[in-house]
Amino acid sequence: MNVIIVGAGNIGSSLARKLSDIGHKITVIEKNPTAISQLPRGRVDSGVMTVIHRDGSTGAAMLEAGISEADVFIAATGKDSLNGLAAQRAKIIFHVAQVITVVGDEGARTLYDSLGIKTINKATLASDKLISMLTGDV
Amino acid sequence: MYLVIVGGGKVGAPLASSLINEGHEVFVLDKDPEKVASLQRELGMIATVGEAASVKALQDAGAARAGALIATTSSDEDNLAACQLARTNFNVPRTIAVAHSPENASLFERAGVDLVVSTTDLVLSNLATALPAHPLIRLMPIADRSQELVAIKLPAAGTVIGRSLSELRLPYGTKIVLIVTSTGQSKPSNSDAVIEAEDEIIALSPSNSTNELWELLTELR
Repeated sequence: MNVIIVGAGNIGSSLARKLSDIGHKITVIEKNPTAISQLPRGRVDSGVMTVIHRDGSTGAAMLEAGISEADVFIAATGKDSLNGLAAQRAKIIFHVAQVITVVGDEGARTLYDSLGIKTINKATLASDKLISMLTGDV
Repeated sequence: MYLVIVGGGKVGAPLASSLINEGHEVFVLDKDPEKVASLQRELGMIATVGEAASVKALQDAGAARAGALIATTSSDEDNLAACQLARTNFNVPRTIAVAHSPENASLFERAGVDLVVSTTDLVLSNLATALPAHPLIRLMPIADRSQELVAIKLPAAGTVIGRSLSELRLPYGTKIVLIVTSTGQSKPSNSDAVIEAEDEIIALSPSNSTNELWELLTELR
């Protein structure tokens, strides 16, 4: 699948690496040059993974990332509201089939549910993982 | 009416003052503690420190009983989130947001913000009225933005000068509301009104045919 990820922080870059491992075509949009260093350099240099140095919430960056060909759009910056804006542009303007946004504030979930945008909650994700470790499901 | 203003900066603070003077009950939310302190001290406002896009902060601001929420921060994404959270989590009946980027202004409208104030459009329309060109000036959106009230100043050497309104082949659905002459007099817009050089035409136009109307009225001989 063609996957666009906005934000190459901890979540974005690890997601990019793992999805690339299993053969998906990844484009990462990140405006901060230091964050880009977290991405697997070999794959970026060989062109397997594309990196775009722009503000990923803008339409121009999305177009450059080839959003009309994207199957999945993931907003994974550290700022909830910026993720929300990017995710809604991907959904409403560019009609990407699967749009997912990372949220820190669980209260924002009702909003994104109503928009048909899936949410991943950072805190819940970590606690679920811990619980499953404690209960021996891992 | 109880109003929540998100962002107490260059737009939010004077807006809050004028709404208080009009008798509204106003609450200002801003993430900067110094700004909040000065609003409280200098203007006697009810203000609190909080993130624009936080459900908790909106709750503390009393969003649940607000008649409207107005988001005026310098961050477009925070303005959008504040309006949307106010709507989905607190049923605020009317949300208003400032959009600094033009592409965000149109996204906000489609994402359910009731009224979007585009700073770029405001500046452009003010500049346009000050310049000796013949621009299309967008005065006001009407009926869920399917129509717009627009003003077009006619060039002296335009093809429509000297013709009557009934002779114009206006785009479908367009209605000329008023004609203002170069000296500031208004003329009724009945079908035999004759268009003169430098007239300004005020028209109600379907949003998708404003450019066609502009081309018709500003075409040069």
